Parts: sequence; structure tokens; C-alpha cells
Amino acid sequence: MSGTRGQRMDMVLEADRLGKRYGSTWALRDCSLHLPAGRIAALVGPNGAGKSTLLHLAVGLLKPDAGTVRVFGRSPYGDTEGLADIGFVAQDTPLYRDFTASELVIAGGKLNKRWDAALARQRLAQLGIPPDKPVGKLSGGQRAQVALALALAKQPRLLLLDEPVASLDPLARREFLQSLMGSVAESGTTVLLSSHLLADLERVCDYLIVLNASQVQLTGAVDDLVAEHRQLVGPRHDGGAIGGVAAVVRASHTDRQSTLLVRTDGPVTDPAWTVREVSLEDVVLAYLADGTTKTNHSEWGVAA
Amino acid sequence: MIWLTWRQHRKQALYTLLGFAVLAAVLVPIGLSMRTTFADLGLTDCVNQLARADVAQTTRETCDAGFHRFTNQYGSLNLLAVLLITLPVLVGLFWGAPLVAREVEQGTHRFVWTQGVGRNQWALVKFGLVGAGVLVLAVGYGLGMSWWVEPLTQTAREGRFGLIVFDLQGVVPIGYTLFAVALGIFAGTVWKRMLPAMGITLAGFIGVRAAIAVLARPHYQPALTQTFPIDGGGIPEGDRGDWVLSVGIRNADGAMVAEDTRIQCPPGGKGPDGRACGAELGLKPGAYNWELYQPADRFWLFQGIETGIFVALALLLVYLAVRRVRRIA
Repeated sequence: MSGTRGQRMDMVLEADRLGKRYGSTWALRDCSLHLPAGRIAALVGPNGAGKSTLLHLAVGLLKPDAGTVRVFGRSPYGDTEGLADIGFVAQDTPLYRDFTASELVIAGGKLNKRWDAALARQRLAQLGIPPDKPVGKLSGGQRAQVALALALAKQPRLLLLDEPVASLDPLARREFLQSLMGSVAESGTTVLLSSHLLADLERVCDYLIVLNASQVQLTGAVDDLVAEHRQLVGPRHDGGAIGGVAAVVRASHTDRQSTLLVRTDGPVTDPAWTVREVSLEDVVLAYLADGTTKTNHSEWGVAA
Repeated sequence: MIWLTWRQHRKQALYTLLGFAVLAAVLVPIGLSMRTTFADLGLTDCVNQLARADVAQTTRETCDAGFHRFTNQYGSLNLLAVLLITLPVLVGLFWGAPLVAREVEQGTHRFVWTQGVGRNQWALVKFGLVGAGVLVLAVGYGLGMSWWVEPLTQTAREGRFGLIVFDLQGVVPIGYTLFAVALGIFAGTVWKRMLPAMGITLAGFIGVRAAIAVLARPHYQPALTQTFPIDGGGIPEGDRGDWVLSVGIRNADGAMVAEDTRIQCPPGGKGPDGRACGAELGLKPGAYNWELYQPADRFWLFQGIETGIFVALALLLVYLAVRRVRRIA
């Protein structure tokens, strides 16, 4: 046990064949991933992919139906003490709407043993949030900032944010992410943000988890992912092995030509293929497309 | 946690107190005027005298006339009493049902349950504080109502056991109110939206209350029977305030001849056609009036049993609600 823990000391979040079921539908299934300490990780996937479920499992709101999830080596469900190390901002940044921002800071102080009220007030003052206005009357961007300030006042070692910018306009998005990056850069807090749009997070994250159809499609450091994927363009490919290619993620064909997005395990030297570098977005889209071709012909009662 | 609970509910508490103050402002003058009339008609004295067995026939007639006048003047207030028994369920609807449902509906449970306070503690503090507040309210309501309906119950034949007034006074309102609030909380943990939770609370409360009042309450203690002859005498006095469950006329062999009725014949009376009194009902010589009842002095015992049932149900529902809270995400 101690050996495993020593080995995994730098892992903040570990999931092992984690699953959660609502009725007979699995919202998350066979989810295994590791999030190393100090990363800013993006959790990307289409709506309904299980992102919120994964975050709720990590913050102990939900109890796993299969597998395990560990945060700092502890199982989060029902673990009140462990919660002190996790800051969580839920989707749509729910706050008591009739409370003022200043009252929410007081409430946080009453609900937490470790609470840096001065830090929260400092942040909110800098952002120009009025202290005496009910937060229900603030703009969406301001409310998100209040929720972030409250999460940071816990001085968490892991910060989980569920679609924090989904409801914000582009300007507020940028401001929110900037202020987030500014504050976690100093503290070394590990951050996991979810979004259904990679573009929202591409600039800030250095680690990526792609979730689709309740399963993990791809996980790893952004630099590694970009470095190990390539686009190959060449003669029509029949599925045979190509030197240096570990797996074909996605292939599209015309009559005479194939375009492949591949994961490489070495240099592709075959001169038949033109090798191009790919962007992170290309990689993510390739993996998402891989899992989504699910047809509904029978449910719609039409011929496939 | 205590601060948070107070901050969240202080406005609602203020409105609730305001509502009760308005209600008191309406009911207290009516109650005082009832009591003045009651004393002016000499009914206070009547109540004391009628409690004795050897009361003179003239006193009884005077008193009955007085009761009659009082009832004519204030009888319509029984309608108001019907409205007042809805108060416990209103407390359940507005204090119980939103307690968890509103948090979940607005998503704030994800904020408050991910701070440093465990969900069990959150639930216990919150349910406990709201429960305590509601308990104080219910005690005040029960005492106030006992005072208010006293003249009405004293003039009514069935006394404090009357169908509406039993539910209005004493300690049962405490049981009803706690039950309504607990039902609201539980419904909120199952349906997780305020309106459905409130609807279920209303339906559940009415259902359980009616079932217990109609099916269980008459059987808290074995009912007593009394019999009296059909000729002369009439209904024995001294049973004012008894809760009569059923009446009828039985023949000498005990067979029920006519249900839900009583008969009084003059001694040795005969009908116009010369038949014996009651012969048209099939009465044979020796038939007697029969009555099944709960005596008036069981009032507090019955109040205690009914309160106990509802408090036990409330505790069960709170326990289930705490368990369900752990499952909400």
C-alpha cells in the first residue's frame, strides 16, 4: 500500500475503472485516468459525455457504482475532511442569490476550517464586485468571479471547475480565465476545468482529458499529445501497417488518396506519406469523431 | 451552519411571525368577545353545575337555552375553525418542502455540500433548527387555539372530542405540524423540485390525517357502551363531552333493530293506532337504546396517543430524508 502511494504521490486525482450509473444508463464507464500535480487540465467532451459526473464523483457529491476514484489518495464520497483540499465551482456557478458577495464570504468562513476571507475580499475588491448587492443581481461574469473567489478562499490544492465559462460572453470568458490563471500560478494549485469547447481552454491548459460517450478517449500532457500525433496524406490506404505509426485514429478516403490522423511511436519514414504536424484541436476532433458514430435508425423507425 | 440557516431563512421567519401576528390580531378580539358573552349568559356557572350528577331539571333547561343562544350567535365560527386546522399543513408546505428541494432546484446544494461541512451535519443542523422553530410555533398555536375554542367546545354536546376542535387544540397541533414539516422535507428529497414536493406534501398530509382521524382514533382505547330505556328518562345526562361513536336500538336479546337512531317514548306510550311505541321499527318489549362512546375524560390520553403517532411518523420521515440527502448530487 505504502509503495503504491509513494509511487503515486504526484498524482492528485486517480480514477480506476470508475463508473456511475443512472438507472440502466452509464453516465461514466470504465473511466481510468491520472491527473498529475500542478497541472492545468482541460476536461473536454460534448454535452452529456459524463464530464459533470466525473467532477461530482471527484468532489464526493456522487458515490461510484463501479471502480474507484481517489483525490490525494482519499476516497472523496462522504469524506468531509478531504473536502478541505478541494475547491469546486459547479456548473452555472450556483450561489444563494439573495446573499450579498460579502455575506457569502462570511458563510464560507462559517462552513470551512481553513478559510482566507482576506484573500476573497481582496480579489472581489480588485474585480470591482459590489459587496452589498445580492449576487442574484450581478452579471453572469461577476457571479462566476464570486464563485471562483469563494473556491480559492478555501486555499484548495485541487480546484475543480464545471463548465465555468459556458454561460459567459467572450470578454468575461477571457477575464475569468485570466484571473484564474493569475491566482493558481503562484499557489501551484492543480486545476481541472471542463468545457464542451476546447477553444475555451486551449490557451490555458497544459494537460488534456477527452471524454466521449461516457468513456475516456484520450488523456495526456498537451505537448506530448501534439508531438505524438501526425496527419499523413498519401495513396489510398488499405489498413496495412505503416512504419512509425502506433494507431490510426481517424481515416478519410477519396478514390485515390487517404488522409490519416495517426498516433506515432517513431518517425514515419515511408516516402509515400506526406507527414504534417497537427494542432491540439485536430487531435481532439479526431478522437471525438471516433466515438460518436452511433446510429439511431431503429429508434427512429427508418431504414439504416 | 447556524448562522447560514438563520441568514437563509430569516426573511421567511419574519413573514411567518407576521402572518401569525395578523391571525392573532383577528382571533383575539373574537375570542374575548366570545368569552364576555359566555360569562354574561351565565354559562360559566352552567358548565360547573352540569358537571355534577344531581343537577336540577330547571337549571338544565335554563342552561340549554343559554347554550342555544350562544351557539346561535357564534356557531358560524366553527367554519373559521375548519380553516384554522389547515395551518399545520401550510407550515409544512412553506417550511418543509422547500428546505431541500429549493437547494437542489437552484443548484446551491453543490455549493454548500462541497464546503467543509458534511451533508449529515448540514441536514441535522438545518432540520433541527427549523424543527425547533416550528415546534415553538406549534406550541403557541395549540395553546392559543385551546383558549380560543374553549367557549365553542363547552357549548357543543360532543365537547372537546368534536371532529374539528379535537384537531385544533391541546398538543395534537404539535404532532401535526412536525409531521407536515418532516413530510415536506422528505418529499423534497425525493422529488427535488419545490412544486411537486409541495403537492405531494399536501396530498400526503391530508391522506394520513384523514386516515388516522377516521380509522385509528376511535380505537385508541376500547370504546365503552351504555344503554338506557326507550321509555321515559331520555338520554342520561352527565355524558356531555363524551365522544359518541355509534348509537342504535337493540331488542332485549341484543339484536340491533335500528342503527344510527334513538327513540324516546312516554312511559307506557302507545301510538295513535294503538300499537306500542316503536313497534313500526320492529321493537319488541324490552328494547333499549344503545350507545358506543369514548368518555370525555379520555381527552388528554387520546391527544397524547395521536401526538405520539404523528411525532413518530415525523421522526421516521426525517431519518429517511437524512438518508436520501446523502444520495443527491
